[in-house]
Amino acid sequence: MNGMRISLKWAGVTAAAVTLSLALGACTPGSSSTKDAGSGSITLNGDRSDFVAAYKIAGDALSKVGGSTIDPRNVPSTENYQQVIRSSLQTNSTTDLVKWWNGYRLQDLARSGGLEDLTTQWNDAVQKGWVSPETKDSFSYDGKVYGLPLYKSYWVMFYNKKVFDKVGIKPPTTWAEFMSNNDKIKTAGVAPLFSTQEAGWTSFIWFEEILSKLDPDFYAKLMKGDAKYTDPTAQKAMAIWSDMSAKGYFTPADTAWDSEPSLFQKGTVAQVPMGTWRNGTFTSNGMTSQDYGAYVLPMVDPGAKQSVIVESGVISVAAKAPHKDQALKTMDEWLNPDVQTPWVNKIKDTSANPKVITDDPTLKSVTDQVANTKPTELNRYWEASPPALIEGGVQILASFMVNPSQSNIAPTLDKLQSLADSEWAKWKAGK
Amino acid sequence: MALATVPKSAAGDATISRRRAANHSRARAQAIPFLLPALGLVAIMLLVPFAVTVYQSFTSDNGITSSFIGLQNYGDLINDPSFVRSLANTFMWTIGTLILPVGVGLLVAILTNSIPGGRWLRFAFVLPYAISGASTAVIWGFILRSDGALNQAIRFFGLTPPSSGWLLEWPNNTLVMIVANTWQATGVCVILFLVGLQAIPAETLEAGSLDGASGARLFWHIVFPQLRPVMIVVIGMSIANSLRVFDLIWLLTKGGPGSVSETLAVTMYRQTFILSDYGAGAAVAVVLAIIVVASSWLYLQRQLKKG
Repeated sequence: MNGMRISLKWAGVTAAAVTLSLALGACTPGSSSTKDAGSGSITLNGDRSDFVAAYKIAGDALSKVGGSTIDPRNVPSTENYQQVIRSSLQTNSTTDLVKWWNGYRLQDLARSGGLEDLTTQWNDAVQKGWVSPETKDSFSYDGKVYGLPLYKSYWVMFYNKKVFDKVGIKPPTTWAEFMSNNDKIKTAGVAPLFSTQEAGWTSFIWFEEILSKLDPDFYAKLMKGDAKYTDPTAQKAMAIWSDMSAKGYFTPADTAWDSEPSLFQKGTVAQVPMGTWRNGTFTSNGMTSQDYGAYVLPMVDPGAKQSVIVESGVISVAAKAPHKDQALKTMDEWLNPDVQTPWVNKIKDTSANPKVITDDPTLKSVTDQVANTKPTELNRYWEASPPALIEGGVQILASFMVNPSQSNIAPTLDKLQSLADSEWAKWKAGK
Repeated sequence: MALATVPKSAAGDATISRRRAANHSRARAQAIPFLLPALGLVAIMLLVPFAVTVYQSFTSDNGITSSFIGLQNYGDLINDPSFVRSLANTFMWTIGTLILPVGVGLLVAILTNSIPGGRWLRFAFVLPYAISGASTAVIWGFILRSDGALNQAIRFFGLTPPSSGWLLEWPNNTLVMIVANTWQATGVCVILFLVGLQAIPAETLEAGSLDGASGARLFWHIVFPQLRPVMIVVIGMSIANSLRVFDLIWLLTKGGPGSVSETLAVTMYRQTFILSDYGAGAAVAVVLAIIVVASSWLYLQRQLKKG
């Protein structure tokens, strides 16, 4: 009797252990990311919940031109998302496609061997005129392409038309006009420019904008590690930034990043420097082209050739993708105008395919300005140097935003250069 | 009675003792299967991850590739000024959390326990405990930002708010976040102290009063010593909570500007998930774990011995 009770207990313990192991097994990413895709679908993982519906629309368009439909997953936090991709890419639990960033962030992932070579797809797209060949470097590592552009955002200055009308100003065509506009907006009691370090990454925006409009070549060299943060050009850019802060042009450094669209819509802040990917948020909040417009910030030196910062999200195929052949075949058509048109019309941003015309009037005005001025395109700061250098850099720039005095310029640039020295050494050593 | 007077033989004693020992061993052996699931869970959920983390702290690991580098991560931490600042902030949080939520909690419990209508008054202090850390941070973000409610109130009264902002400069940002945490964490201290106060026998208080003790004297000599078991729990909990504070800091300042308001828990997160330096993050985690275990162990051992 006693023995029977003990064996019953053991049976209970064993059953509990089996249940637990099954439950844990069910929680592994593999069960959700690879096996649930419907027949003919490929899975995609991303960190933008506002893109989920658009992925499905793009998938439907892809299936009509020989690709597969897309079954999207989403990890809401970018930090968690990066960790999920880094760990899952090494296993069979990965999704077929992953959303990522271009530049050094893509290189970081590509050199781990986790991504599939998409050079064939890139070359085909170039031949068909679906993508600009000169942007290849920012999607490549070691001469091979590892991602196709998800979109192409231009960094512009969004401006509130009602505030501009009230103050009696027009979008500036020179740096002097830009500064004079800021004075007039400030006098009218409105914050001229949005700025914050609250979200962490946002601290690079003004450093990047001013430096790239001061000397685009220097910006490109600095980002590649061929120039120093302590060089006179960087000092001059910081001095301009410091001067603009002293004049009270910027919102406080602890302004909530999430409040930016509402502050802009209400006219509390007149101008917002941001990638055109922010356009979708403005339109979904009910703003129309009557309320706001966008212009490319003029060069500091009126004689200099115009530059513009560009940013591309990337869509890549995992090397261990469960439906790799299907995913690669789908990527053949990703930049097809029949796919890109519904995709960008849904996300309200510009396509990397120059043949795709957007139906959004604000974006149309941006692409027209780009077509007219043919600016030098520069990679965004976030993707233009090794990730650890950027992440440390935004912390140092955030500290400068709290104390943007002239006397804090040299210590800030010294810290940035010291960080650049150590992080470039690590990057080159493959760490 | 007769049985009681019969002398026991030495051999008989030994037999009984052996039998008892055998029974005891058998009982212990039979208990093992009952312990195994709990032990297994602790091993799987706690000990294995800890061992893996300790090993990871000796590696250079970017989440994709890993190589053994010995103690280099620990050496780098010691030479990193932001890690030293992070340690200092953690220390400030521990001291602040010991003084404010515990002190305010004790005060609120005593006052609301002895005044009429106190049970309603204490709701104001207890309710924030029901709010999550993330919500607390959002609420205090509205209050503390430069364009927030606190500065608006200061301006309303014709005063000038500090130009540096509440969340932008050290040590102000750490101090105001400790205050925000106090608002949220005081509730649990109030509840625990109330349990302690209500467990004090009325006879003891009456005896104290009859002996002439009243007011502060009654409190320090009669009430306070009897709150000791609760105090041990409250202080122990506060130490552990202060060492692992994360959500409030992350949502209010992200440990910045720069890294000036980071605590060890935030540094660990940044190293691991922002910089993808899993080895350095693991080293911070090990340092934090050693501090938490050592301080809890030292405190509890000392207090329980006294008890």
